[in-house]
Amino acid sequence: MRTRVAVTGIGLRTPAGNHVKTVLDTLNAGVSVAAPVPELAGAPVGFACTVPDFDATEYCSVRELRQLERPVLLALVAALDAVEESGCDIAAEPESAGVLVGTGIGGLTAAEHLVARHHTDPGRVSPTTVPRIMASSAAARISLRTGAQGSCLTYTTACASGATAIGEAASKIRSGELDVVIAGGVDSGISPVVMSSFARMSALSTRDDEPRLASRPFDRDRDGFVMGEGAAFVVLERWDRAVARGARILGEISGYATNSDAHHIVAPREDGAVAARCMRRAIADAGLTPSDISHVNAHGTSTALNDQAEALAIAATFGAHRPPVTAPKGVFGHLIGAAGAVEAVVSLATANTGLVPPVANFAGSDLTDLIDVVAGTPREVPRGHVLSNSFAFGGHNACLVLGPGDA
Amino acid sequence: MQREEIAELAVQKIADVLGVDATEVTEKTDLRRDFEVDSLELMEMGARLEQAFGIRLQVEDLVKMDTVGDAVTLLEIRLGVPA
Repeated sequence: MRTRVAVTGIGLRTPAGNHVKTVLDTLNAGVSVAAPVPELAGAPVGFACTVPDFDATEYCSVRELRQLERPVLLALVAALDAVEESGCDIAAEPESAGVLVGTGIGGLTAAEHLVARHHTDPGRVSPTTVPRIMASSAAARISLRTGAQGSCLTYTTACASGATAIGEAASKIRSGELDVVIAGGVDSGISPVVMSSFARMSALSTRDDEPRLASRPFDRDRDGFVMGEGAAFVVLERWDRAVARGARILGEISGYATNSDAHHIVAPREDGAVAARCMRRAIADAGLTPSDISHVNAHGTSTALNDQAEALAIAATFGAHRPPVTAPKGVFGHLIGAAGAVEAVVSLATANTGLVPPVANFAGSDLTDLIDVVAGTPREVPRGHVLSNSFAFGGHNACLVLGPGDA
Repeated sequence: MQREEIAELAVQKIADVLGVDATEVTEKTDLRRDFEVDSLELMEMGARLEQAFGIRLQVEDLVKMDTVGDAVTLLEIRLGVPA
């Protein structure tokens, strides 16, 4: 019989809240949290979705507070929350516990500051520079703090990284390699050069005068994504193990698939055919058929190209079934490497509640011929499995199927 | 250079690495116990002290520093200040 993968802990630091309930309430209100960011003065786009009042003081040693960059702190704090909720004693079984992290931007903002400060005197950089900017820093720090001594890996599949990490983590539970995995995604790239890099390729919305109206997935007036930051982590273990130790099961990672467009370095394949194949494989991996999917948590970036291709891919996958489609990036923006992880957490929650949040700022488009976009108010659906899509720059596709937990 | 002058400059350089105000660091400050300083940060302190005082310090000397006072004494010796 197929091994089921249970989620027993969740940790969040997001622009829409630090707890599942807060995030759901914010999503159900359907209003974007995007706002001007003072540090972006002079950059081509001056607004984003930031994690408000982030403070790691209570979680970290004085050394960690001194040495860890913002993305690593966001990841560490979210991961520690997830472990705490799970009740897992990592130190008791260190060799069978792993850490799998997804990040797209990694230490790039720290590198930006480093170069700005030291480009004329590279000999004076700090000996702590490499551990600060290496892409695996978050994973390594989570391993250090929790004592997990199994696989400690960092996946980088651009905007799909968080979904990749959770999917690969589920695979490692199923294969028996690990008993417990702390898995998730993180990114914090809200700096002038990083923002400008996305803006210069016309990926970002330029609605500086109306930040709250800027992220509008699938809407006819969409003009790009809104940058976000944050971290989302889950603790995964075998379902029977979670039951045996009396853990509360928050949900299930029931299916996962990943593939590659092999089409263009950043543009999605126009017909969404490879993305559609990824969705079908994830649903099949869950032992389900498309008609079993209660709703879709779309990648839905609010870029012209992604939303068009994704709508085609969803239509091709589901045919006449037309499950309701939501897209949380309308509210909390695009968390890049954390996006797939936070959206997996949202999907786990809505798999349980059966309440699908509306897409912020969606007022209509010709894409409604292809998909059923939830707009205005939340939609009630039966409790059940959710498909969460992540379709990234690079053509990296990752799809997760998430199921409900204990009632 | 008198010990007091050495101490004032050394405290400032060490506080810079710790990211705290110089008033939070004294000669009694224990780098590992009070601030959990690790080997990389000791190397950074050493580099900043070398630059500030125009001398060379050995890694073996740095790892023996427990308190800021130890660092000041080490600097006194390297600077040839008569005891």
